[in-house]
Parts: sequence; structure tokens; C-alpha cells
Amino acid sequence: MNPADRTPPSQHATIRFEYDFAHRPEKVWRALTEPSLLERWLLPVRDLLLEEDAAFTLHADPQPGWDGTVHCKLLESEPPHRLRYSWVVGALDTVVTFTLEPTDTGTRMVLEQTGFQAHQKPAFGGARYGWGMFLGRLVELLNDAA
Amino acid sequence: MQSTPTAEDRIFQVLADPSRRAIFESLTRGEAAVKELTSRFSISQPAVSQHLAALREAGLVKSRREGRSVYYRVDPRGMKPLIDWIAHYRAFWTHHLERLEDLLEVMES
Repeated sequence: MNPADRTPPSQHATIRFEYDFAHRPEKVWRALTEPSLLERWLLPVRDLLLEEDAAFTLHADPQPGWDGTVHCKLLESEPPHRLRYSWVVGALDTVVTFTLEPTDTGTRMVLEQTGFQAHQKPAFGGARYGWGMFLGRLVELLNDAA
Repeated sequence: MQSTPTAEDRIFQVLADPSRRAIFESLTRGEAAVKELTSRFSISQPAVSQHLAALREAGLVKSRREGRSVYYRVDPRGMKPLIDWIAHYRAFWTHHLERLEDLLEVMES
């Protein structure tokens, strides 16, 4: 495996990883979608159904200010190629996408977490916007200030 | 994976207003006086001042007075809770994807 963090330096609003696995996409897909397997590498999952718009939750250890629940909604399931779901913790509303491509040696998996945008809550006036380069520019400012 | 909803909520709440966000984005290009900012947007000077006060309270901008003018600039540290949150996720995925590889090794094909 080449655990490569491919996040472009100025695009901190997106997290992107590329991995090469010596396993077929069908097998990787099972690890991404079967609750008993998902629990062994990611987090315990409740109510996971591979149907569009189906809500499910992931459960991390509770921490101060957060009960550990990740609220998800399935956005896309195309076995064994593409799995996309929302990943919402508190005010932060992101989307996680797994893309699997067969290679000569197994599977190339791309993981992206995008968004990092305001959640639609009445308190936020229904605000919802991407950070894009806007946040990138702030990160540059932060680096300059350091 | 840590979460500090209070700090993040505060940032989002303040930036949820489109005018306020536009003012903040404008300030990321450099320091500006209230008067100058007012000329960039089609809103009144008191409204601009009010938005700036909200941004300052959230720790997103800093101000300094020079003569009769008040100048505002972005305080990059204000966005730190959000940037930290992203950094936490980068570490979270690195760790968990290593576990995925271990699992694939022991799974039946």
C-alpha cells in the first residue's frame, strides 16, 4: 500500500487519499459496505442500507462537546466502484467518497472528504456554501502569520 | 478525531450572513478602512460597522484606529478551529485506512 496523502497544499477544504490495495475491488467493496467488516476498520455502524437517501449513523467514542455520533446519508452506491455518503458532525457537513478502480495488481482506491461547509440549521439562516479556494487563501494567511 | 462544535458553530454562524461573508472575503485581500469597505458594497456604513463588530467578536478580524478611521484586517487565527478540524480528519483517515489494509489481509476473498 502506498498511503499517499494527495491533498493539494492550497486546497485544505478537501481531503484526498489514494491507496493501492493488492485485493480485488469486490473485496474492498465488502469491507466498505458490510457492517461487521466496516466496524473492524472504521467505526460501528447502525442502520446502513445501500439505498439512496437512506440515513445511517457511525459511532465514535464520545468526547467533550460531541456524543461521538456521525450522521450519514447514502448519496450514491455503485458496486463495486463508487460509494458516496454525507458525513455530518455538529455544524460541519461534509461528503465522503470512495472510488475503486481495478488495477493489474488489485485496486486503486481514492478517498475524498469534501465540503467542510456550514450545515443547514435554522440558526445559520439556511446557509450552505463550499469553502473552496476561500479557505485555501485563509490557510495561506495562517501560514504567513506563523 | 476531535470536535469543537462551539468554536466552529460560532464561525459558521457569523459567516452564514452573505454580506458579512462578502466583507470578510474582501478583507482576506488586505486591510481596509470602514469607509473603503462601505464603498465596495451596496450597504450603509452603520450596517458595515455592525457586520465588522460581529466578525471581530467571533475573532475573525482585528481592528486598529488611525486618526478618524478604523482599519480592519483578517485575524487568520480566527479560522484555526476549522483548520484544526480538517487536520484531525486527515489523521483520522490515515489511521483508519491502515486498519482497512490489515482487515483486507485477513478477510476471505
